[in-house]
Amino acid sequence: MANKSVWSDNRFWQRTATWVTGFAAVLLIWLTFDTSAQISMGTDEDLKQGVTKRVPGPTVINYKIEYLMDAKRGHEIPVIGGKNAEGRSAFQEKEKFFGRDDWTEEEAGALLHLGKLGSQAKNCMNCHTLLGNGAYYAPDLTKAWLDPAWGPEGSLQAMTGKNTKEEAMAEFLQHPSQYPTHERMMPDLGITADEAKGLVAFLKHMSSIDTNGFPRNFGKIQGAVHGK
Amino acid sequence: MFEPFTDVIPSFFGWLNQGPLTLTIFLHTVIILPMIWIYYQEKKRLENEG
Repeated sequence: MANKSVWSDNRFWQRTATWVTGFAAVLLIWLTFDTSAQISMGTDEDLKQGVTKRVPGPTVINYKIEYLMDAKRGHEIPVIGGKNAEGRSAFQEKEKFFGRDDWTEEEAGALLHLGKLGSQAKNCMNCHTLLGNGAYYAPDLTKAWLDPAWGPEGSLQAMTGKNTKEEAMAEFLQHPSQYPTHERMMPDLGITADEAKGLVAFLKHMSSIDTNGFPRNFGKIQGAVHGK
Repeated sequence: MFEPFTDVIPSFFGWLNQGPLTLTIFLHTVIILPMIWIYYQEKKRLENEG
């Protein structure tokens, strides 16, 4: 056929489809490995050496965590252990967690594990959102640890009558229905003191994860994007 | 037009995701350009067959 168009030629479309499918497959396999490397948890050694990992090691619960605006990235980033000259994590300043700032990697890991299992057993995600997964019936918990309401001058800490953020959060988790927090009050889920400790550790660790500024407009923090 | 690279860990996918143009240029490079190349190859083949 002398004047057959390429557009109606089967081989042209076959070759195009083969190329696009093959290339996309390679790209997705590469993306899988790239992602696993980026989301793998750091270690205690990384924290001591000042290596910034997207997901820091469990012993990050020994450090002070802040959420500060990063001018270059255009959103807040978790700053662990005080900030250095560039406004990034300095990994220096410690903060006591339930009276200790020397949790070992094993202890902290076990605590986080308990908290993670607890969060699954109590189905936090049924109402809350954790790292983008879950519901918005109740507040987003991804950066809950950094909410100033749980801080020294915060209303939630004052409400529980405790002197530290972690104790206040643990107290609330054990008796949520006693405290008026939200229009939709949290039900009592029978969380034990140990589980509450694990859950608070889990939340503190989660707040140290670099989520590229998610959730957007975590505006309760002064100086945040659209902060109040 | 091009936004500065700001990701935590430099990676190819971080670069790809920086702004709308990086992705567009990338997809045009890997899909449209080879299609043009395949088009002319097939055109030549059809002409030779004809």
